[in-house]
Amino acid sequence: MSRKEQETRAGTETMKAEAKIQNNEEEAEELKAKDQRLASVFGVADLKNGAIGLYNVGQSCCLNSLLQVFFMNIHFTGILRRITVPPCAMQKKRNVPYQMLLLLEKMQCGKQKAVSPIDLACCLSEYRVKLFVQHDAAQLFLNLWNLVKKQMKKPELVEELSNLYTICVQEHLACQKCSLETKRNSNMLTLPVPVLDTNSRALRTLEKCLQYFFHPEELTDHNMCFCEQCGRKTPFLQSMKLVHLPQTLTIHLKRFCFEESAYIHKLSHYLPFPQDLDFNAVLTENQCQADDSEKAAWQYELFAVIAHSGSTSCGHYCAYIRSLTECKWYCFNDSEVCQVSWDDVKCTYGHSNLHWGETAYLLIYMKKHPQ
Amino acid sequence: MAQWQEVQNLANAYLEQVHQLYAGSALPMAVRQCLAAWIESQNWRQAAEPLSSHARMLFHSLLALLDEHLGSLGMGNEDFMLKHNLRKARRDLQAEFEECPDNLANLVANLLQEERQILRLGQAGGEGGAAPAPSTPPESNREQQIQRRLAEFHAALQEAERAFRHLEDMQDAFDFCFKLYYRPGEDRTNDPQYTQQIQALQAKLQILDRQRREVLAQMQQLLGRSETLRDFLQEELEAWQERQQRACLGAPVDTRLQPLETWFTELGQGLFQLLQLLRALGDLRQKVSYERDPLKAETPLLERRLLELLTYLLRRAFVVEQQPSMPNACKRPLVLRTTSKFSARARLLVRLHDRNHRMEAKIHIDRDPPKIKGFRKFNILTSSTKTLLAGDCPQEGLVCDFQYLTLKEQKDSRSGKGSKGGGEGPLVVTEELHLITFTLAYAYCGLQLELETSTLPFVIISNNNQLSSAWASILWFNMLSCDPKEQQFFSAPPPAPWPRLAEVLSWQFESVAERGLSKDHLLMLAEKLFGSKASPESTVAWPKFSKDGAAGFSFWAWLDGILGLLQEHLKQLWKAGLILGFVSRKQEKKLLKGKRTGTFLIRFSESVLGGVTCTWVEHPESGPPAFRAVVPYTTAELESLALPDIIRDYQLLVEENIPENPLQFLYPNIPRDEAFGPYYSQWQEANLMEQKKYLNRRLIRVSSRQANESWQTEEELVATTENLEMLQLQPSGLGTQEPGGLASLQHGSSGTLQPRESGTLQVASGNLGTLQPSGPGTVQVVAASPEMLQVTSGNLGTLQPSGPGTVQVVAASPEMLQVTSGNLGTLQPSSPGTVQMVATNLGMLQVTSGNLGMLQVVAGSPGTMQPGVSVMQQPGSQVLDPPQLLQVGSGVSELLQPGIRDLKPQLVLQVVPEGQGMLQVGPGAMEPQLVLQLVSEGQGLLQVGPENLGTMQPVAGDTGMLQVGPENLGTMQPVAGDTGMLQVGPENLGTMQPVAGDTGMLHPVPGAVELLPVPEGQGTLPVPEGQGTLLVPEEQGTLPPELRDLEPLPGSLDVQELLQSLENVLQPRSGTLETLEAAELMPDMLEAMDGRLEGLDPGLAGNAALLNPRDPFLPQPEDTALPAVSSLFTTDFPSLHIDASDFQ
Repeated sequence: MSRKEQETRAGTETMKAEAKIQNNEEEAEELKAKDQRLASVFGVADLKNGAIGLYNVGQSCCLNSLLQVFFMNIHFTGILRRITVPPCAMQKKRNVPYQMLLLLEKMQCGKQKAVSPIDLACCLSEYRVKLFVQHDAAQLFLNLWNLVKKQMKKPELVEELSNLYTICVQEHLACQKCSLETKRNSNMLTLPVPVLDTNSRALRTLEKCLQYFFHPEELTDHNMCFCEQCGRKTPFLQSMKLVHLPQTLTIHLKRFCFEESAYIHKLSHYLPFPQDLDFNAVLTENQCQADDSEKAAWQYELFAVIAHSGSTSCGHYCAYIRSLTECKWYCFNDSEVCQVSWDDVKCTYGHSNLHWGETAYLLIYMKKHPQ
Repeated sequence: MAQWQEVQNLANAYLEQVHQLYAGSALPMAVRQCLAAWIESQNWRQAAEPLSSHARMLFHSLLALLDEHLGSLGMGNEDFMLKHNLRKARRDLQAEFEECPDNLANLVANLLQEERQILRLGQAGGEGGAAPAPSTPPESNREQQIQRRLAEFHAALQEAERAFRHLEDMQDAFDFCFKLYYRPGEDRTNDPQYTQQIQALQAKLQILDRQRREVLAQMQQLLGRSETLRDFLQEELEAWQERQQRACLGAPVDTRLQPLETWFTELGQGLFQLLQLLRALGDLRQKVSYERDPLKAETPLLERRLLELLTYLLRRAFVVEQQPSMPNACKRPLVLRTTSKFSARARLLVRLHDRNHRMEAKIHIDRDPPKIKGFRKFNILTSSTKTLLAGDCPQEGLVCDFQYLTLKEQKDSRSGKGSKGGGEGPLVVTEELHLITFTLAYAYCGLQLELETSTLPFVIISNNNQLSSAWASILWFNMLSCDPKEQQFFSAPPPAPWPRLAEVLSWQFESVAERGLSKDHLLMLAEKLFGSKASPESTVAWPKFSKDGAAGFSFWAWLDGILGLLQEHLKQLWKAGLILGFVSRKQEKKLLKGKRTGTFLIRFSESVLGGVTCTWVEHPESGPPAFRAVVPYTTAELESLALPDIIRDYQLLVEENIPENPLQFLYPNIPRDEAFGPYYSQWQEANLMEQKKYLNRRLIRVSSRQANESWQTEEELVATTENLEMLQLQPSGLGTQEPGGLASLQHGSSGTLQPRESGTLQVASGNLGTLQPSGPGTVQVVAASPEMLQVTSGNLGTLQPSGPGTVQVVAASPEMLQVTSGNLGTLQPSSPGTVQMVATNLGMLQVTSGNLGMLQVVAGSPGTMQPGVSVMQQPGSQVLDPPQLLQVGSGVSELLQPGIRDLKPQLVLQVVPEGQGMLQVGPGAMEPQLVLQLVSEGQGLLQVGPENLGTMQPVAGDTGMLQVGPENLGTMQPVAGDTGMLQVGPENLGTMQPVAGDTGMLHPVPGAVELLPVPEGQGTLPVPEGQGTLLVPEEQGTLPPELRDLEPLPGSLDVQELLQSLENVLQPRSGTLETLEAAELMPDMLEAMDGRLEGLDPGLAGNAALLNPRDPFLPQPEDTALPAVSSLFTTDFPSLHIDASDFQ
């Protein structure tokens, strides 16, 4: 299995979540009351109290950053607010979307500088998302997203959530000996783009990284695949074509390098990314498998950056998010939130001589014209 | 206070928001107003945290302050309402928040936050209103951003420090409780009180943990923001470095480092503060730690990140402030000459250092020399280390200023023999790039670093004539190299894009003459380089720029020649845009074709290095317009006569035509005098002129145009003569003239060249030995004076050098060289090539010929004037030969003095020329510090021309005896020098008595302080006095009334004293040369005194007797002048004052 395939798998991997639903009649009444209260809560939330921090509850900077990215995405909160409230207290405690909503409500209504996500963190720990552990933001994002998706009861919400985040690509495998070609559609939550090319040279820009990601790869030698037509292992040409891009596009810069198997190191070199990203300008005709209306919508602008500082073993995450309502950038460092500018975001491009500073790790782009 | 103040200054729309904010608020605006400062200085956010006792404390403080405020309010009616409101507010606040002061804290914190929000909007809006368009220049915008961010950074830092202190307090409280209550050893799980206490402890620990995390988050945020600042400063620094590089090329850019230094220092200071805070945070962990203590994992991370940032910042902050340059070549840095001093300076922009640590800066040259064969190696001769001392001008910053550095080539650096100078390596000397690296051992707050920075590459030359091509290399490198350390740049120098080169060339003109190149200029240059119009993609190769050239010189050499010309002579004209300059011949014709006759333009020659010429148009009655141009003027010509003056007085001689100035209108249509009027030199006539004794003179340039010659006429030198007596012209200049042309230029008395003023003859010389006023090239006056060279002949056209090339006066004086011939044509060097006067004197050199063929050359300042050798060796014989021209010169201390070798070396040479062949040299025998005597005799004119500082004394000082005795027909004219100090008399004695001859006149000249000429005999006595204007006696027998009461000095006694002292001196050394000299000095005196003084030591008479009557140094009996002199002294012996102290 090639590297890319693995990544694709990782992207589509879902968390096996338990979904124990207990129907408890007794709590039906309480549910109604809660619903009413929630409605009033939404009203307050719509007042837009601005960016609120999240206390670090123990290595939770990664979770905090991701949560902020979720909460600042009005498309996501639009879905979250329509979830079904679990009937009983026990379920509420274990329901990730509900806990997220509660946290959002807490952030939005209280005129506090920051709130503590401890309840959500405890809830997540039920699902093997451990507390007090340094997470990888990309991994945690997938876990969190899958949990949310799993635990949403309403199918229309699930679909909406999927549409909001899922990238569709078509994988092509062509035997170089005969003309056999296999195609396979797959969905991904993130585009895990490499920051080095095959010769371990640093790629210059995000666009270059994307191009490299979609560049056809020859599978030779021990990477050869079995061709049914030829009846033996033959060299294949593997390529990926872009079919669909979602409203919220997450790009994962693979800055953690696994080259020397045991030792993971961080690549902190300079890699600029644009505020406005047009995939039509980045990819060639061959690398797309989409109609014109789909392609026309491939205009993106940067919405958030999750940046990592420090080394692989110990580090810190923070999130730079552009408020969709105010169109202003904020930086979320756990409980500290402050308004920043694009210049601050640019600081996360990285620096070849500085290894401990903030470098962008996850880039979240937002479609300019929602479909 | 600040915030509330700012809120009140908001525009109305935003004030409205503030009112709304407080309308429903439990905190009335009145309270906010009267306790503004206190409210803003509290940390309400922290107080709002649950379980904090801080909130209650603040609540009670607030009430107490309100009470206090109420008490302080006066009883007046104006405060009545306010008091009522505050009282009510106090009651309400107490009622509402007594139970839960936390709410109050939260409320106030939110109010303050909202205020800030409104402020931000309001201020942004206000700015937007004031300047709607984003027209502010990006630099200043960036500057403001940096300043704002720095301010924010420091505010946030203070906030973090406050949070830290709060954390400290909190931890101390917890620590105390913990030690008090926690008893792990005892099993008291059943004790409910204990359990409660433990729970409370647990809660306290929770809060402590949260506070720690919060402080950490603050620091993360701070570091994040400082990274942005770091990037900003880095950008600014790079921009500065680029500016510096461009400034090196002459671009007019701002290279001040001060803003950067301030910013770097502020950021550095903040980061070091943060570092200390971080370390203090680490210390907190030492006291209290627990499971999953955030400090444990995060402080080291933060510290590493911070140290990395600081290190990076400090490394960047070490910059070369002043690139190496020689002191006199400020406009062309980076070119160094071996053995010449140069300086370079580095600066650490982070102005922080540990006073107890000595920081040492070092410099190295070519630390990593490129692997180029034959690459020269150099040593820095002077000390290469320097200690930055603490307190070393703190306001000046941390500077390593290396001055007076010199380089020396390592002898063994060129391998093998015969390679020296031959350039065995592939690079010529001027393409060899060298670097100096500064290193600095920096230590501060436990951070130790070796900082390092390098200069831009420079070129090392050994001779000034390499300067131009060295500078070309520097231009090329800094224009094109992207790596400032690329020492091998010239192994393969890239071509220069024309637009870039054009810009750099323009800077050269801008830095030299404050005006860059215009579009048209560049068009012409491009055409010259490319043969056609340049496209933006056109490039110029390095060899084409600096090496190849069809005309025998490269493009750059040509341009640099023009730059040199501009720098020295044409700055003003170029700056004023009067010089069109770069115009091709073709273009020039196009421009002038449609203009009226006499329209001219000034352009640079394309065929002569550093030449400028005028081209004018003439429209003949029939035929196409003709364009004429003068042979280009170069520095050589312009040195003696400025271009505006040339243009003003330019004459064109056409056969049978009256000379006229063809230059009438400067292109396009400006009358000549209007354009150049401000630049004509004003003829400041000297005192001599005022006395109407001399004729005005003016130097002009003339071209002659001969029928058979081409229109490109040669450049001429012109002599105009008074009274149309004689005019001799000889073409000179560039050596292209034909000797045959001479005859036709002999205008002699024909008077075709009309002198402006009657009675003048002017001979102008060019800069480099071009003056040849005579016919067949007999007299040459060669001057390199940048100002003036004058050879003036008198009325009768007497400038008649006898033989071919006989008289040469060569002067290198920077000020003036005057050769004046008298009325009777006396400048007559006798034999070919015998007389040479060479002066390199800084002051003035005057060569004046007297009425009767006397020539005087007087030079005063020591060590500058060199008299012709042959003459000097034997002055006596020369002098005594009456028809000979007299040769005079003064020299340095070590220079030979005629006849008086033994005198002390400070002596100034004294030479007296004389009409009739009489020369007297009278140095002071005793203390010959400043002595010069000039005596002219007979009909001669005596001119005493003192120099700069009045050091010339025509009289010997120490012996107290000076005699200037012009005789019968002579006039004496001492001329005062610059400082107006002329002493015609011995300084020390305070009296001096020049004696006017029978019919003579004495003209003392201003300045003498103690000048007291005493008339004797029949002569008139002018008595100038004091410092006032001097009296010039005009009539004989009159004495100025105010001086009548001056008593004639009782001479006898003084003279006796003098003689006694003389005797004292002479006696012990009778028969020695000195005696001879003394006698020679004052033969008249001896004679004069002979009869009058009794009791003279016989030794004196003996000594006198020793004088050899045939000694050429002595006045000879047959000299006609001698009797006159002696008679003067015998009959009219002057009174003398002699001070005894002078003989000590």
